[in-house]
Amino acid sequence: MNGRRVALVGGATTKFGIRAASWPELVQEAGAALFAAVPGLDSDRVDSLFVGAAEPERFAFQSHVAPLAAEQMGLKPFRILQRTELACASGQSAIRSAYAAIASGLSDVAVCVGVEKMNLPSMAEANTSMACVMDRPWDGAHGATAPPFFAMVAQRHMREYGTTEEMMAAVSEKNHRFANTNPTAQFHEKTFSREKLLRLPWVAPPLRLGDCSSMTDGAAAVVLVAEELAPEFTDTPVWIRGTGQYSDFHNLAHAGSLTEWTGLRRAAQEALRSARLTIDDVDFAELHDCFTISEIIEYEALGLCPAGQGGSFVLDGQADIGGKLVVNPRGGLLGCGHPLGATGIAQAVEVVQQMTHRVPAARQVPRPGVALVHNLSGSANVHSVMVYSREAAA
Amino acid sequence: MSDASLPATSGTRPKPPGRADGPSASPPFLLDFFPLEGPEQTRLAPFYAALGEGRFTTTRCRTDGSLHWPPRVVCPSCHREDLEWVELPREATIYAFSTVLVGAPLGMEADLPFCVGLVDLDGVPLRLFSRIAGPVSPGPSIGDRVRFEPFDLPDGRRFYRFRVVNEPTGVGKAEPPRDPSAHR
Repeated sequence: MNGRRVALVGGATTKFGIRAASWPELVQEAGAALFAAVPGLDSDRVDSLFVGAAEPERFAFQSHVAPLAAEQMGLKPFRILQRTELACASGQSAIRSAYAAIASGLSDVAVCVGVEKMNLPSMAEANTSMACVMDRPWDGAHGATAPPFFAMVAQRHMREYGTTEEMMAAVSEKNHRFANTNPTAQFHEKTFSREKLLRLPWVAPPLRLGDCSSMTDGAAAVVLVAEELAPEFTDTPVWIRGTGQYSDFHNLAHAGSLTEWTGLRRAAQEALRSARLTIDDVDFAELHDCFTISEIIEYEALGLCPAGQGGSFVLDGQADIGGKLVVNPRGGLLGCGHPLGATGIAQAVEVVQQMTHRVPAARQVPRPGVALVHNLSGSANVHSVMVYSREAAA
Repeated sequence: MSDASLPATSGTRPKPPGRADGPSASPPFLLDFFPLEGPEQTRLAPFYAALGEGRFTTTRCRTDGSLHWPPRVVCPSCHREDLEWVELPREATIYAFSTVLVGAPLGMEADLPFCVGLVDLDGVPLRLFSRIAGPVSPGPSIGDRVRFEPFDLPDGRRFYRFRVVNEPTGVGKAEPPRDPSAHR
């Protein structure tokens, strides 16, 4: 990559779940957690703040959220203050924007905070907001929300490749098992065997409740700094090595194959090319398991297994510790919950914690040198990928 | 665009007649899925006017011939505005579908359970997302034939869906909900 190298020097998340806390309160909590996690962080040195928030206008009836978030965190940004919105990838968008700002020299010390408050007294209102992620007058108006869209994806994958409900349950079981080691996860201390998952009620067949990530309240924050400042904050910086993104449609009429996610393949290729690494260099991945079928197709799009073999890949333990590539040791969206704006930042927090060996042994990746983080948004019509490494680029 | 032959709709949303229910209740505009259809609000008003005549239309670029969905005011290929309205086939085949059992948006709760799907229109390279009317238990199958069906919203606007027109064959069926009524 061109420009200055950028270090991720720390981060933290709030408790994820159905929280008795409002949008601004969640941001305050994320700020407290961040300043506790990065003792060298001085408010006055934070020149920029990027706020990942997908739908605050809908979920919190609040616009102009960037200065609101800055005030909640006690920050007075003097270079760049902005919100990033990319639905389910809003958090990663904040990190990518901060990365670009620091690499270019516009910023030296940037905070990224991601937040979503999704649980409302009326779930129908929350579902209404989620349907607006789709092309509202043409797709949303027919009832297009995420579950029926990804149900169609699963239906086609089952039909074309013989993928089974048991394979999808294997994704959910793995990610919930990891989430059990993560106290900030929504489903911490909840056990989900494959048998139990296969008995949960249908949401949109062939997807059951355990195949779907949750409506979740939560926030997360990280600090990014220019390379020369990193030693002031930590002895163990994590480096942003590369990034890639691809989008080729929005209206569902242009989705093409539901089961071949070429957008992810292209975004990952660009991220790895810019990092001057290959998928074989990656030691663990945080993939966007908004639904179990998503993670299965993501294995295939990343080239971890041939097309159509993603179900067997997870069933054989290849996405587990000891397998070909550990996927979602944090617990994934399935286990941690999915507060849209916070997810991409919480994934980055997991990367820092893995690479500094500060997670419980049950989910510690043995040699966490290189991580790939992926978010899709909407109907998998946008794919965003970051590559992080413990070692700085040469 | 050449839309002189199409009559305009009445424009803004009239007030719904008394208490509206079902998919077409009129909540505040920012919670209303259905578009503002009149010529004061959208250059695509001819699409909705055609729905009122039972016709299914979209735009085609006169310059490069590309067929659009949804209809547009500027061609995304050549970026010109020289578009024409054309009729679309009304018959289609289900490519993928699901049955929504829980989690409906506002105004759609009373519709549960309902089917949605992607349907391949006969003879044109368009695969559209739509509500699919018809029995939901057992639901439709991939490959089932469906037909375009415009319908009235209570406040005077028009919308459309597809309806299953053949008997379910069971061929290629994804596993149906074992007891969808339990999730009503």
